[in-house]
Amino acid sequence: MGSYILKRLLLSIPLVLIISFVTFAFIHLSPLDPAEVVLHSQGIPKITDELLAQTRTKLGMDQPFLTRYLNWVVSCLQLDFGDSYITGKPVWSMLGPALLHTGKLTLFSTFAIVVLSIVFGVVCALKAGKWVDKLVRGVSFFLTSMPSYWLAALLIWYFSVKLDLLPTSGMESFKSYILPVAVITISYAGIYFRIIRTSMLSNMNEDYVLYARACGLPEKKITMHILRNSLQVSISVLCMAIPIILGSTVVVENIFAWPGLGTLSVKSILSRDFPIIQAYVLVLAVAFILFNIVSDIINVALNPKLRDGL
Amino acid sequence: MTGRMGFLVRTFTLSIVLLVGCSNGDAAKTASTDTGKEIVYATSKDINDMNPHFYSGSMPAQGLVYESLVENTEDGIKPLLAESWEVSDDGKVYKFHLRKNVTFHDGERFNAEAVKKNIEAVQSNASKHSWIKLSTKIVDCNVLDEYTVELVLSEPYYPTLVELSMTRPYVFISPKNFVNGGTKDGVSGFNGTGPYKLTEHKVDQYAVMEANEKYWGGVPKVKKITAKVLPAGETTFLALQKGEVNFVFTDDRGANSLDVEAMNQLVESGEYQIIRSQPMNTGIIVANSSKTESPVHETAVREAFWHSIDRETISKQIFEGTEQPAYTLFSSNVNYANVEVEKRGYDLEKAKKLLEEAGWGIGNAGEIRTKNGKPLAMKLYYDVNSSTQKTQAEFIQNTGKRIGIHLEIVGEESSSIANRRSTGDYDLLFNQTWGLAYDPQSTIAAFTSKSSYYHTTRGIAQADELYKKIEEVMVTTDEEHRKSLYTDILIIVHKEAVFIPITNGRVSILAPKNLQGISFKQTQFKLPFERMYFE
Repeated sequence: MGSYILKRLLLSIPLVLIISFVTFAFIHLSPLDPAEVVLHSQGIPKITDELLAQTRTKLGMDQPFLTRYLNWVVSCLQLDFGDSYITGKPVWSMLGPALLHTGKLTLFSTFAIVVLSIVFGVVCALKAGKWVDKLVRGVSFFLTSMPSYWLAALLIWYFSVKLDLLPTSGMESFKSYILPVAVITISYAGIYFRIIRTSMLSNMNEDYVLYARACGLPEKKITMHILRNSLQVSISVLCMAIPIILGSTVVVENIFAWPGLGTLSVKSILSRDFPIIQAYVLVLAVAFILFNIVSDIINVALNPKLRDGL
Repeated sequence: MTGRMGFLVRTFTLSIVLLVGCSNGDAAKTASTDTGKEIVYATSKDINDMNPHFYSGSMPAQGLVYESLVENTEDGIKPLLAESWEVSDDGKVYKFHLRKNVTFHDGERFNAEAVKKNIEAVQSNASKHSWIKLSTKIVDCNVLDEYTVELVLSEPYYPTLVELSMTRPYVFISPKNFVNGGTKDGVSGFNGTGPYKLTEHKVDQYAVMEANEKYWGGVPKVKKITAKVLPAGETTFLALQKGEVNFVFTDDRGANSLDVEAMNQLVESGEYQIIRSQPMNTGIIVANSSKTESPVHETAVREAFWHSIDRETISKQIFEGTEQPAYTLFSSNVNYANVEVEKRGYDLEKAKKLLEEAGWGIGNAGEIRTKNGKPLAMKLYYDVNSSTQKTQAEFIQNTGKRIGIHLEIVGEESSSIANRRSTGDYDLLFNQTWGLAYDPQSTIAAFTSKSSYYHTTRGIAQADELYKKIEEVMVTTDEEHRKSLYTDILIIVHKEAVFIPITNGRVSILAPKNLQGISFKQTQFKLPFERMYFE
């Protein structure tokens, strides 16, 4: 198992390098002169040639492309992603707290998604075709298809303005988490519970279920077996939910004024804060690769036959 | 809501109520603001770095914490941190007598030495401040005694006091906050002399400014001002309804975080009032006269384009009356700008005539005009983040079509538009004048600047004469001569139709009905919160 994990980790290194190169190259294909972007974003009202030259040297723009890329990769390995063009602060000091804030939101949302998906998935599978199944699927279809900004606005209006139970936005207390987590959960749980439901239904038709019934095993025990087998299939999908949510909180964060990765990335993209955009893409890519590895490891642990595939 | 749906909503509500019940504490933070004491304003951006000698910080917040030597008011330059001043006969030496009972927020005394250190800190980072012409003229700052300081210039410069009154960079921070003996490497704190102290700042969340109990001008009545970051307009609207924020104003780019309709709705509820300032700036379309290969190079085309814009409808329909149509580069309340020029309004017939006289012929109605086989096609760039600019561009494109002008409209980021302006890679683009305190001198000084309007003005017949007059107007000490030079400058650019005015921008404030004392400064970049009080 140890060698499998090591192999998977080693294989991901070239992938990270390719992603880092593409990110770096794409951003440098932009027709804008980074020095000018820096000066504009610092609000300097008049940009002189002297100031431009000074800034270019400071940013290392006078060096060849490959040298700049290698320097960047080496410093990224030491968690130094450079300085923000706008604030001048180290990228990590801005990305770190944002990652933490989005991470908390993702953690609570993933927990809620997993719990709700399992509960609704199991209930719907057991009651397949009955009114409960139809109702849950209908409502979830309706909620999932609602744009999240609309859903968020509705929830804020109802729970914050009308009932005065929760804050409209911000990240001040535990209460601040409830609505954003609810919006993310509603948007994703509707997708994931279907996967569990389908998986449960297909397991119900397996021979081992028929055999168990023939042996006279109690229904509860059979259901637990089905659930365990169904979850195995769903684990990798649920694992990937974490980086997906991590990278897709833009709308929710914007509406709820949540100072996380989504807000930071939009702000950086709009102001062409290249060092932050580069670091953001890299961090997300690494998160996707890592969670992919984790889901593979879990699957392999559950089904050792898969190890031979590598 | 019936049956099952109602049941679901009730279950969901109940679970939220239970969750809220389980969470203890922090109730005070989430409760509505105490509108009796506090102003919480919504801002789309964080206050950022509050170093007063840099440009990335929020100007309204910097304006509360830091002060300048003098203040620009409707009645001219008035004392602020300097009680009085004298200008030498040759216009090169400014002697300031400082206010004596002023301390920085950290208790440090504000005196001539602090002024000298601050001015030197600004001057040591000269390349960043070259936009403000005064920075290129200051040669010395001398301490004459504890409360007298002298500013020596290389040549007379009439806007000296106006530029000293600006929100930055000539404002004062406690020398104790200097890093490496200055401010260009950052500062260790944000202690100014202003009516409010910055007491808390959570990046991208909020910043709290509390009343300076030792403020020389009297303790402000509103004890606490919070700048809350709220990027989405819908959230701001809901937060205003709930009372979590109670104050909204036009930002320094002229954008409201609320649209006019939402503001009106809040006013109709009876809890809010809207107050608008006098015209502060002019929204313009800049025409690139130096682009010889484009039709925009021709004065007649620019003039016809000017006539093709229906400002009245833009004002009424797009701005819902919040901005007034503009027919000159500066509104008449701008110093030296009350100049008699021909009024060019919306007149499609006149526009057609001008184009025909210039040789731009048309075949059938609805077609694009041509001259020597070249089509009358131009590109108009707008800021992609401004919803009003996009609508204006589409509207102008449509009226242009009716007289055979083909406008291709392109939305880009503001930094990209600024880049086009400095490189001259444009036909037409949206812009705005610098605003009341800065006009006309800063906008006009930018006519000659390569990073600003050089390409706009370079292609006109009288360009050299224009540049000479601009150079002269900045150094002349004779008031009458200055007036006549400004008049000439404004007439030249008006005649050449290179700055095409659309509407006059104002600052709008949405505030609680019981908030009194709301007024404006001579700039859209800061508000006098210290004069406000709740009734």
